[in-house]
Amino acid sequence: MILRPTREDLKLIGWGIGRVILGIGLIMLIPLAVAVASTEWNVVLDFLVGITACVTFWLIMENTCRVDRDLAWSHGLIVASLGWLVAMLFGAIPHFLSGHFKSYLDACFDLMSGYTTTGLILIQDLDHLGNGTNMWRHLLTYAGGQGIIVIALTFLFAGTAGAFKIYVSEGKEEKLLPNVIRTARAIWMISLTYLVVGSTFLWLGLMKEGLSWTRGGLHAVWLFMGAWSTGGFAPQSLNLLYYHSFLIEIITLVIFVIGSFNFVLHYSVWTRRRPEILKNIEIRSFTITTLVTTFMLSIGFAKFGLYTTLTEFFRKGFYNLASGHTTTGNSTVYATSFFKEFGFIAMWAIIVAMAIGASACSTGGGFKGLRMGILTKSLWGDIKSLVSPESAVVREKVHHVKDIWLDDSLVKGTMLVVISYMVIYGVGGLLGTIYGYNPSVSFFDAVSAGSNTGLSAGLTTPLMPALLKVYYIFEMWAGRLEFISVFALFGMSVALIRGKGRGSRRR
Amino acid sequence: MKHPRTHARAVIVCSLFMGVLASLLTAGVASGAERVSIVRLIDQMRKYDGKEITIQGEVIGERMVRGDHAWITVNDDRYSRQNLEEGGQFVGMSNAGMGVWVETPETDPIEFYGVYKNKGDIVTVTGIFHRADPEHGGDTDIHATAVEVVQQGHQVSHPFQYWKLFSVALLSAAIVLLWNVRRERKRKIGRRL
Repeated sequence: MILRPTREDLKLIGWGIGRVILGIGLIMLIPLAVAVASTEWNVVLDFLVGITACVTFWLIMENTCRVDRDLAWSHGLIVASLGWLVAMLFGAIPHFLSGHFKSYLDACFDLMSGYTTTGLILIQDLDHLGNGTNMWRHLLTYAGGQGIIVIALTFLFAGTAGAFKIYVSEGKEEKLLPNVIRTARAIWMISLTYLVVGSTFLWLGLMKEGLSWTRGGLHAVWLFMGAWSTGGFAPQSLNLLYYHSFLIEIITLVIFVIGSFNFVLHYSVWTRRRPEILKNIEIRSFTITTLVTTFMLSIGFAKFGLYTTLTEFFRKGFYNLASGHTTTGNSTVYATSFFKEFGFIAMWAIIVAMAIGASACSTGGGFKGLRMGILTKSLWGDIKSLVSPESAVVREKVHHVKDIWLDDSLVKGTMLVVISYMVIYGVGGLLGTIYGYNPSVSFFDAVSAGSNTGLSAGLTTPLMPALLKVYYIFEMWAGRLEFISVFALFGMSVALIRGKGRGSRRR
Repeated sequence: MKHPRTHARAVIVCSLFMGVLASLLTAGVASGAERVSIVRLIDQMRKYDGKEITIQGEVIGERMVRGDHAWITVNDDRYSRQNLEEGGQFVGMSNAGMGVWVETPETDPIEFYGVYKNKGDIVTVTGIFHRADPEHGGDTDIHATAVEVVQQGHQVSHPFQYWKLFSVALLSAAIVLLWNVRRERKRKIGRRL
């Protein structure tokens, strides 16, 4: 029997979402400061409108939804899934007011793309965008990479036992420390340290390549945020191609590969448990899938014959493949080049890499290396069972911080998530094909959206059909939250319509 | 026998004729470079690969000097004529730009580079288009032989948007009101306890 959520349940969810939106408003203070420093007064107003709208919403929720109860699992799931959607609506306010989006839907698209570290864009005339708005674009992808709920947890949920329930609902199952609030803070500590180090390297590199120290400084921070969060945003419309720099490509490559690793792995390395790097199933899985897709890419390039030297292979092939595999989306070629200059095999090598994606509990998307490892090991176990004597018991394990023995429920859960990804990729690809786009292009962009990558083969433009925009927003959101919270939201929607009241249960 | 002045006149006429012929021939070379839009160039890279072409558009971002050469980026889209900050119309695309590799002194006449506060100079660039430039790790670019500023850019004025200020004031009033309600509510709960 499905139970209809009570008024108290809805209030609790509303209260939680209010806190998340307050978090969004607080983050807007940073681009506001950048806009003030850059004397972009209209941009300052855009952010003031955004901040006051967020605070107003939070106060409305505080006044109307406050209840003396803690969050349960179901509330945590709904706060995470619905919180992201409401955060999209509020975060899009400065975007829309900037005047660079044709519609509010386009602004929401870029917001969801940023939060989910996807990197697809519908913004127009990016090359004339203000510093404040550019800071917002990159900051939200940096914040989204750590998880906007993590931000809220860090500052606004301190002390509530329900915090862990929201944390897990955001697609991060692992705790670095026993306390979830401390875990959220540790994630921030890791990210901020890398921000300082990575931005400094980029800044020096950009000044060497001819940028002034002021623009170089801003570009360095933005490029770091885009790469580390595996979002792939860049301040110029040509993305990484704008810089024509091998050095900047190398630095960003290192940043997004490190950014795509599991936070638990980072924490292990920080706490001097370095052998974990060699033993971890995700690192092994990532290495193998990178080698396989690089092999595919080299066959494709050899067949097509455009990029022939090792440097060209690295800068145009491997860079974009690694960017796709880590679900980053930084690119050194034009969008149409994937379709026209890479050839069929190389293009599909990148599609496969994007679909597999990065590590669990990281800023990346896709199936994730851990799941690929679990499924491969499980398949290997099945094959071993077939060739072993009937009485033999075959069990497989994977190493991810600790040894995990595979059982049916774990494999089934993993399979459910992987199938869900395949379904959203497939539906997106078919939808694009139905609209008349080339099938390879449709699948490329659909996989890119669902795996939160952000590379585009040219389909994602402001002129794409509105239904596709909405579907891609859904793909980015569902892919980032890894479906469980999304299922919970659908479940609650059904319960609201068809569920039975608590009274009927007692009867 | 001809008068020396007649001879001198003939030399001048001949020189002028040769000069005109030379400039026509040079112009002939310049006009031999096909004028192409960047959107077309990106769309038909194979067709224009290794050919001399001419593009025209707004210089954006900045000049990145690398030794005796520099990179500039030229945008040739509707926003390079009138960008959104100056009230340009939406055309349903982001920018269409191309990197240009050029001798540094050629870029000296460029005064404005297009950013939020500036509309960049409009330049005409003639050079060889590379679909995958072997000199620059496979970049798609143009090696310029000539860069000419055809229209100077300018600073963009951003008129203050008072309606946004009004919205901020309205929302701030709502915040004050709601904050008081929250404080009252908390006080009541405190009294009850």
